Amino acid sequence: MPDPLQRAGQRLLQPLRAILDRGFGADLNPFNHLGALTIYFFWIVLVSGIWLFIFFRTSVDGAYSSVEYLTHEQWYLGGVMRSLHRYASDAAIITLVVHVACEFVYNRYRGPRWFSWVTGVPLMWLVIPLGITGYWLVWDQLAWYVALTSAELLDAVPIFTVSMAGNFLSDEALSDRFFTLMAFLHLIGLPLFLVFGIWLHVFRLNGPRINPPRALMASSLVAMVTLSLIFPAVSQGPVDMTRVPETLGLDWFYLPVYPLAALWSPGGVWTLVCGFSLLLCILPWLPPGGARPAARVDLDNCNGCSRCADDCPFGAITMEPRSDGKSYEIEAVVDPSLCVSCGLCTGSCPTATPFRRQTDLVPGIDQPELTSATLRAQIMEASQALRGTNRILVFGCADDPSWRRQRKRLADAETGVVDIYCMGHLPPSFVDFVLSRDLADGVVLAGCPGGNCHFRYGAQWTSERLAGTRDPRLRKRVDTTRLALTWQQPWASRSNLRAVIDDLRSTLSRRSKGETKSVARSPHRWGRWLLVAFAYAAFLAPVGVFSVWPRYGLIETGQAMVSISFSFAGERVGECRQLTQDELNALPPNMRKPLDCPRERRPIRVLLTADGQPLYDATLPPAGLWNDGATDVYQRIPVKAGEVELFVGVNARGDAEGFDHMLTRTLDLAPGRHVVVEFDDVGQSFFFRTE
Amino acid sequence: MSLLQWKPQYALGIPSVDHEHREMIGMINCIYDQIGHGANADAIERGLGEIHAGIAAHFALEERHMREAAYQEYEAHKEQHEQLLDEIRDLMDMMVESPEAGRERLRKSLSDWFSVHFATFDARLHDRLGDHDS
Repeated sequence: MPDPLQRAGQRLLQPLRAILDRGFGADLNPFNHLGALTIYFFWIVLVSGIWLFIFFRTSVDGAYSSVEYLTHEQWYLGGVMRSLHRYASDAAIITLVVHVACEFVYNRYRGPRWFSWVTGVPLMWLVIPLGITGYWLVWDQLAWYVALTSAELLDAVPIFTVSMAGNFLSDEALSDRFFTLMAFLHLIGLPLFLVFGIWLHVFRLNGPRINPPRALMASSLVAMVTLSLIFPAVSQGPVDMTRVPETLGLDWFYLPVYPLAALWSPGGVWTLVCGFSLLLCILPWLPPGGARPAARVDLDNCNGCSRCADDCPFGAITMEPRSDGKSYEIEAVVDPSLCVSCGLCTGSCPTATPFRRQTDLVPGIDQPELTSATLRAQIMEASQALRGTNRILVFGCADDPSWRRQRKRLADAETGVVDIYCMGHLPPSFVDFVLSRDLADGVVLAGCPGGNCHFRYGAQWTSERLAGTRDPRLRKRVDTTRLALTWQQPWASRSNLRAVIDDLRSTLSRRSKGETKSVARSPHRWGRWLLVAFAYAAFLAPVGVFSVWPRYGLIETGQAMVSISFSFAGERVGECRQLTQDELNALPPNMRKPLDCPRERRPIRVLLTADGQPLYDATLPPAGLWNDGATDVYQRIPVKAGEVELFVGVNARGDAEGFDHMLTRTLDLAPGRHVVVEFDDVGQSFFFRTE
Repeated sequence: MSLLQWKPQYALGIPSVDHEHREMIGMINCIYDQIGHGANADAIERGLGEIHAGIAAHFALEERHMREAAYQEYEAHKEQHEQLLDEIRDLMDMMVESPEAGRERLRKSLSDWFSVHFATFDARLHDRLGDHDS
């Protein structure tokens, strides 16, 4: 089912990757370091956040002014730090979303990889409350809006009985303690879960890449500092709860749920979030399934050298005490629930050499559905069909759709194609075999570009094995000019595999004519720098823009806002009854209450009108599991500005016959004015809070 | 009379490595006998293939022990391993391209493979690992 989606995604991402390959080079292509970049951006957020916290005052009055101080008074450092804090967080959202999209699009979430995928889901959501609490702490008008609407979202969760949103309608309800709580959540509570979550996310991986390459770290930091200087992050005015800002600059990376909640309903947002999370969590098990069988160890050929365990990217191989009584200490054991069958273990096995010997080719560890013996036979077969003087054998990854599309078209009289699981699946001795036994004149390894190995480390370790820096090493005498690795050539991504083959062929034919000079095709240096600069601009411009634009309208021009927020207990369902003395005597002494009242209450009806037109008319149930609590009323309603007669009434029985309490008042509402309708429990009367 | 004979002083005290050293001696003796009995180039090439795979695995195991023991001369020893493997590979190629020359060179270098390798490097490793064994 996800297949067409994945294909479409690949078509979309491929040109982007190719462009970045030209600029950054395959190894530094940010697409290959999305997870690590996200973590790196959080490091920036952490360091800048510590700076901000030093100057932050956790109180209603101090929050805004302290942030203003550090933004404007020490703008050269504080302001830059604040902007870095915001933009690195926003950039992290982009890399995070693209990271998830890439893992999905390139089908890297199935089989044993479900663990990283599923543990990534809560990690993704955890980032959002981190951003929200951050915006909250600034306590500007945006923070007020965020506080109010977040509380509305939480009110929609049925476990909360008392409305929280009401706390943010007047300064009275808000205490400094609240900012301590927010600071705790933002600085310690949520980050703690985040760090633990990241640890869990990479827990099963062998050699997880936590840090991006230094060049990427440095250049992205420079780019973000530049953005911070050009377009510093600022607050949006102090909070005045008697006024509603008409529009606000919303950070669309972290806060899009609020407009969505206004468009649908808070319940709708929760349904979407939960439904989407659930879908993500079950995605690894949705069809099409069908994984290959796990790698198999052949103890007769395993001496416990541990190379496979070192190279397994998923930690699926452990070295255990010998079980067959041979004079070896340990043996390789594969955990099928962790093995993704990438073949990297076979590529690392010193016994996987294709040269003729007395016994059959059975390496210490092999792939049941594509054994080394089968691979050898396929190479021989492909070689026999080749003619000419510049014969080339191309090895491609069997699972890769772009290889599958191209392999038929590539095959011709001079070009043979062979499927392997991953570039790392091919032991270097097979390359030696092909070239020294004259099975072909050149070899092309068509692996995934850069670090974007469908599995992990396949391309990197193949490069290292062939360069003689990782075991097993390619024999030194092998002429590596007869070898082309697609992922090492920035100009030649897999999409133009044909170009790599042609290039190698022209090198081979020049050699056979006695020419030694080869024409290196490298992109112009300045061109590359320009591309990198352009790429960063294209990445960070949206970061800067969408962190405040498009402005979101809370109310329309010429509107004011009326909020209604109070708690009122409906009448009890039945009459209270006086207990007789006998009944009282029968009760334990501590429970002798003369009046026996039913706990359950009736719903209440609330009506709010403006000039006789109903703004809010609702019959609301009592709170509590036993329907015995007071009813909480909360609603925000935009109204037309100008002179208006407001009427509010409440009926304690939930019927339409009259009101137990009511109040009528004429107010002159200026545009942007905010009025709160409240109920005074002590005086048992309504009042309008206008200041 | 075999070319090589196992001697007690060859024992490193690591059962797996000692076991494979014995096997190596067996394989080298076997191919030596084949040359002596005038076996054809094909058989010798196969025998060499067997030795090449066996020694490659043996070196991999030995290198693991060296790394685990933090053997200081790991790099030099490792380099020697790679050279020996390359030498065997060269001989395998020679057996295909010019069997007679290959046969001659093989006869000359066979006994060196084990004894030189063992005497120069494994002996040092022996001392080194011996310290850790006790």
